[in-house]
Amino acid sequence: METLVQNLIASGAFGRNASPDMVATIVVFVMSAVVFLGVAFPFAGIVSWAERRVWARIQSRVGPNRVGPQGFLQWLADGVKHVCKEDIIPDESDAPLFKMAPYLVMLAFTLPWAVMPFSSSLILADLNVGILYMTSVTALTVVGVLMAGWASNDKWSLIGGIRSAAQIVSYEIPAGLSIFPVVLMTGTLSMQGIIRAQGWAPQHWFLFANPFTFVAANILYISALAEGNRTPFDLPEAESELVAGFATEYSGMRYLFFFMAEWGNLFIIGAIIATLFLGGWQFPHVTKNVVAMNILEAVTFNVKVLILVFVSMWIRATLPRVRIDQLMTLCWKYFVPISFVDMIGTAVWVAIWPDGNAAMGYIMFAGALALAAVFIQRVIYYLRRSRMEVYFNPTI
Amino acid sequence: MGAVSEYVGNIKEAVSSIFEGMAVTASHFMRKPYTVQYPDRMPVRVQDTLPFRYRGILEVDLEICTGCLACERACPIDCIVIVVDKDPQTRQMLLSQFDIDIAKCMYCGLCSEPCPTGSIHHTTEFEGADYSLESLIRRFVKDPVMAYKPKKGPETDTAIAPILNRGMAYLDQWAQPGGEKPAAEEEEPA
Amino acid sequence: MSTLHTEEMTLNMGPQHPSTHGVLRFVVRADGEVMREAIPDVGYLHRSIEKIAEKVGYHGFMPYTDRVDYVCAMFTNQGWGMACEKLAGIEVPRRGEYCRVIAAEFNRIASHLLSVGAMAMDIGAVTPFTHAIREREMINDLIEELCGARLTFNYMRIGGVAWDLPPGWREKALAYLDHFDPILEEYNALISWNKIYIERLANVGAITPAEAINYNLVGPNLRACGIKWDIRKDIPYSAYPDFEFEVPIGDGHWGKLGDSMDRYVVRIREMAESSKILRQALAKIPGGPVLAKVARNFKPPAGECQIRLESGRGDMGWYVVSDGTGYPWRVHVRTGSFAAMGIIQKLSAGLMIADLVTLIASLDVIAPEIDR
Repeated sequence: METLVQNLIASGAFGRNASPDMVATIVVFVMSAVVFLGVAFPFAGIVSWAERRVWARIQSRVGPNRVGPQGFLQWLADGVKHVCKEDIIPDESDAPLFKMAPYLVMLAFTLPWAVMPFSSSLILADLNVGILYMTSVTALTVVGVLMAGWASNDKWSLIGGIRSAAQIVSYEIPAGLSIFPVVLMTGTLSMQGIIRAQGWAPQHWFLFANPFTFVAANILYISALAEGNRTPFDLPEAESELVAGFATEYSGMRYLFFFMAEWGNLFIIGAIIATLFLGGWQFPHVTKNVVAMNILEAVTFNVKVLILVFVSMWIRATLPRVRIDQLMTLCWKYFVPISFVDMIGTAVWVAIWPDGNAAMGYIMFAGALALAAVFIQRVIYYLRRSRMEVYFNPTI
Repeated sequence: MGAVSEYVGNIKEAVSSIFEGMAVTASHFMRKPYTVQYPDRMPVRVQDTLPFRYRGILEVDLEICTGCLACERACPIDCIVIVVDKDPQTRQMLLSQFDIDIAKCMYCGLCSEPCPTGSIHHTTEFEGADYSLESLIRRFVKDPVMAYKPKKGPETDTAIAPILNRGMAYLDQWAQPGGEKPAAEEEEPA
Repeated sequence: MSTLHTEEMTLNMGPQHPSTHGVLRFVVRADGEVMREAIPDVGYLHRSIEKIAEKVGYHGFMPYTDRVDYVCAMFTNQGWGMACEKLAGIEVPRRGEYCRVIAAEFNRIASHLLSVGAMAMDIGAVTPFTHAIREREMINDLIEELCGARLTFNYMRIGGVAWDLPPGWREKALAYLDHFDPILEEYNALISWNKIYIERLANVGAITPAEAINYNLVGPNLRACGIKWDIRKDIPYSAYPDFEFEVPIGDGHWGKLGDSMDRYVVRIREMAESSKILRQALAKIPGGPVLAKVARNFKPPAGECQIRLESGRGDMGWYVVSDGTGYPWRVHVRTGSFAAMGIIQKLSAGLMIADLVTLIASLDVIAPEIDR
């Protein structure tokens, strides 16, 4: 970052007496704008189209395929439609809070992009508390959702808002505890530091480092889904009970902000897991060219995150919703104790093998491949039994 | 010890049932969608793929209507209005009005069942949506026409014979009461 | 030390709601998430169908019976046909009875598919609903070839059925059944044995056998409480004595006896049993006519009669009073969903709001049947 600022000053583009702070601020603004407007918001829109197509294939349907090639512009059409809608603010509602709530939720979605490690040098701010910053900032959603539920002056919205507050606050704990094993193994909270401590090959990922981190990864993923209000934890917006939960009274673009935040959160969930457990942007050193390496690393990171986004959509299509008391039971009686066990187990592991145990990595990776093989065998079993036509083409 | 085994059992059941469910969903991901992309991405018109017995919008073949009013009497929702009088000059039955209100019609088929010639029948047409309520009253008689007199033997008029054959084929689909028709297994499709 | 002041909320789960099965309204008194009482409010779908019968006559009423319960239209058709036949002493030919059973059992599978699919969707899983509807669409295609319509069939007439099986239909029906049985297993693997789903359904709305009988529950709701009562076996009618099939009952395997999971599993098992009946019927169907001779202006002798049949929702009763003219004096339909609405108010105390949705879905309440 400093080298970039110095290069820019040296190139004379900002005049002869440019102060480094000024140039640094301008650089940060421009880069943030690029990341937010160019990556974050379009992603939130495109993932709505992708989710509908993925869901539709799982449900034996087609999904949007008329607006643009393969329906790719559907999200733009939805955005334009929502912008053109009447902005209804209920009469008895608390108008300032009602209007502010979607922006708070959007804020919780926008802020984590500051520490998103796209590649070894493409990161807006490599904070040395990167992962802590990310998890704490995503918890801002609670404020927004609770505000929306209360300010709507609608009992159903209130129920949705309260459920969401309870849910997000509860699931912060297993999520935070599951980050500990990784921090114990690397000794740093910074995103780039954690990624650099892993290797590019799967057996060097923290996912397969030891059984405790494997379980911690799963718990972190499920807790992150719960924090993002995704099924099976989408009670706050349970369509069949509360119509749209806390967002019932919202119309037009305000409504869309809530859901853009939810879809965009998918990327953030994927990024957290990819960084902590899947080796982030690590790619084997095939070239000395810095730009090419950065591009390869960025592609690797994005591919890993997009696979996790796909898995989130897949889970949402498959599983039913849990009830609020079962959600609490799951969190406090199952996830929290297991996260503590993970933490202690990893601490013991790091004490015994401070430099990691390579053999365990290979064993765990082989186990994961065996599990994947069993899964594929079940899939083929169901494909054969159903006698429906097999069709691999994603376009239709 | 029972509590611990129940705890572990819960986790095991949850993981294995979710694993199976995800396998089913993943297998669906690779199957052909069942959707029929109507109306523009179809090889043939949907109306041509529907079975012969399909109860779509009603149509009347006036050439073979005998003016017996059996359909008007049978309709349970009074959507058929027929006016047939004896013409004083020619001493023939003259149809001057045959209106079917397809907005009221409930597509039950009770009118086509008693028709002696199969003149009123259901087509495979189902796209009847329109902008005006008036257009939903189908008026089949433009100028007063003579009612059809069925002949004792086969119909000799070459213009009417195919229409009559189609009408009788439509009527043959219906079950004949009391056993005049043998079981349908060995018949040709209409 | 005073306790925290809490207030009870009165919520309205109104006539327009994504999960009440049809147009139903509940006034819910809730203490946070836990309900004190859910008072049902019916009547939004009342169309005076029973009164219409007095105007259109016996033959003309057959299409109106489709609308009494549009998901189980074959059963309502059969009920009206059976009531009029009993009044006038008409006997349906053997092949006609078999056609009735085949159509009815296909309709039972379609109705149960809709019920279990909608239940899964109310619980939050969106995929099983589309799979169930896809299978239902295949049944609708079959029935469309048979009688020309996909929802309001008007297939049966007084004295038999209106159309015989078209050529080639038997093979298509058997091919569908061969396709359906593995799909049912796959459906079970996807959702029925899913741990989250079982946790949502078990122990919710458990009904004791005594309560079930007192509240007039019928059909799968009654059988889930462990009571083996099925009109097809206990008061046999039509061609059912010719077939071998089991009557599945609930056994409290996943929670209490008579809870929502029992009701769900009874419906899944009934679909498999219907598939068995269909295979037997399609194999053994005799030749002959399908419709008895009935006068066009049907005038049954004066009197009254009542019949019962096992529809998708349970014991459906048809009661007809005739005064000797061509128009009935009074028609009454007794449906299973009406009784199920009554028990919801009693069961709702202590349930959570999410469970109310589960309860309504598991009782398989269909609004047009309640209000007629």
